[in-house]
Amino acid sequence: MPWKETDYLPSYEELTVPELTLTTPVMRAGALHFGKYCDNQCKEFMLCYYETMDPRKCLNEGKEVTRCGFEFFGKVKKHCADEFTKFHECIDFSSRDLIFKPCKKQQKIFDVCMREKVGIERPPVGYFSLTRVHHTERPKHTLPKIPLPDPIPDPPSVEGRIPKHKYWPKRGLFS
Amino acid sequence: MASSGGYTQDLPPQGGYGPIDWAKRIPKRVNGFMVFGSFIAFTTAAWVIFMHRRRIEKGHDLEVNDARIAVHPLYEAERHRMLMRLHRQNRDEERELMKNVPGWELGTFYGEPVFYNMRERFYHPTLEELYAHTKWYDIYNKAFEKLEH
Repeated sequence: MPWKETDYLPSYEELTVPELTLTTPVMRAGALHFGKYCDNQCKEFMLCYYETMDPRKCLNEGKEVTRCGFEFFGKVKKHCADEFTKFHECIDFSSRDLIFKPCKKQQKIFDVCMREKVGIERPPVGYFSLTRVHHTERPKHTLPKIPLPDPIPDPPSVEGRIPKHKYWPKRGLFS
Repeated sequence: MASSGGYTQDLPPQGGYGPIDWAKRIPKRVNGFMVFGSFIAFTTAAWVIFMHRRRIEKGHDLEVNDARIAVHPLYEAERHRMLMRLHRQNRDEERELMKNVPGWELGTFYGEPVFYNMRERFYHPTLEELYAHTKWYDIYNKAFEKLEH
C-alpha cells in the first residue's frame, strides 16, 4: 500500500458513527422525500467528493449526510409509520426491481401524510435527474502547487537553413 | 348386411339440386383514397397511443432513476468510511508484517517511494492491492458478488 507513516488516514474513532441499517426497499420508498429533505447536505457532500476525489477530505460532509438520514427516517417513523410500512412492503413484494409503478396508491397516501404531518413535498418527477446548482461557502479545493522544472530552451532558428524546393509552388496554401 | 329395416336410399332433395354457381364474381372495388386514408388514420392513432404510453412508462423509469440518485450520497458516505477503515487496516497490517525486515519503510520500497505523489492526491488502489492481506476467496467473493443475487 502506498500510505507512508506520515500520510494522513483517519483514525477508527473518526470513522465510527451510527450507520443507517435499512434495507433497499425501505431506502427506495423514502428516497424521494429524503432527497428533498437533505438536499443541501447531499449536494455539499457530492460536490466535495467530485472536487477532491479524496474520501479523506469529505468525511465530515458524509457524516452530515448520514446524520440527516437518521433525522429524516426518525421523522418518518414518528409521524407516518403505518403509511410508510405499507408503501415499502408493497415495493418489496410487487416487483423484482423495486419499481414504484405497482404502488402508486400507497405512494399517494404516503405523500399526503408527509405533506400534512412532516411538511415535505415530494419533488416533481425528474427533479433529481436534472442538473442541480448548489451554492456553498466552502472554498474550492485546489491541489498544492509544486515547483516545476525549468522550461526547455527554444529550438535554434531555422531561418535560411532549409533549402527551397525547386518545384514547390511559390504562392498558395503550402508555399 | 342389407336389411329392410332402417334402410333409406340417399337421394337428391325434392325438386332437385339448385343451379351451379359458375359465374365469375368480381368483388366491389374499394376506392384507393379509402385504402390509403384508413391506413394513415390507423397508423396515426396507433402512433398517438404509443407515444402516450411511452411517455407514461418513461415517467415511471425516471422516477426510479430519481430515487436511485437521491439515496446515492447515503451509500457513498458509508462506503467511504468503510474504504478508509480498510486502508487503515492494511497499513496496520503492513506495519505488523514487516516489522522484522531491516530497512523497510511503510509505503515505500526500502525507502524509495513507489508513487510520484507530491501533491498529496488520493490513491485509488486496485482490488488485488486492497485485499492483499486477506484470503484468496475474499477477493473472489468481492469480485463476483453480483453473481450471488
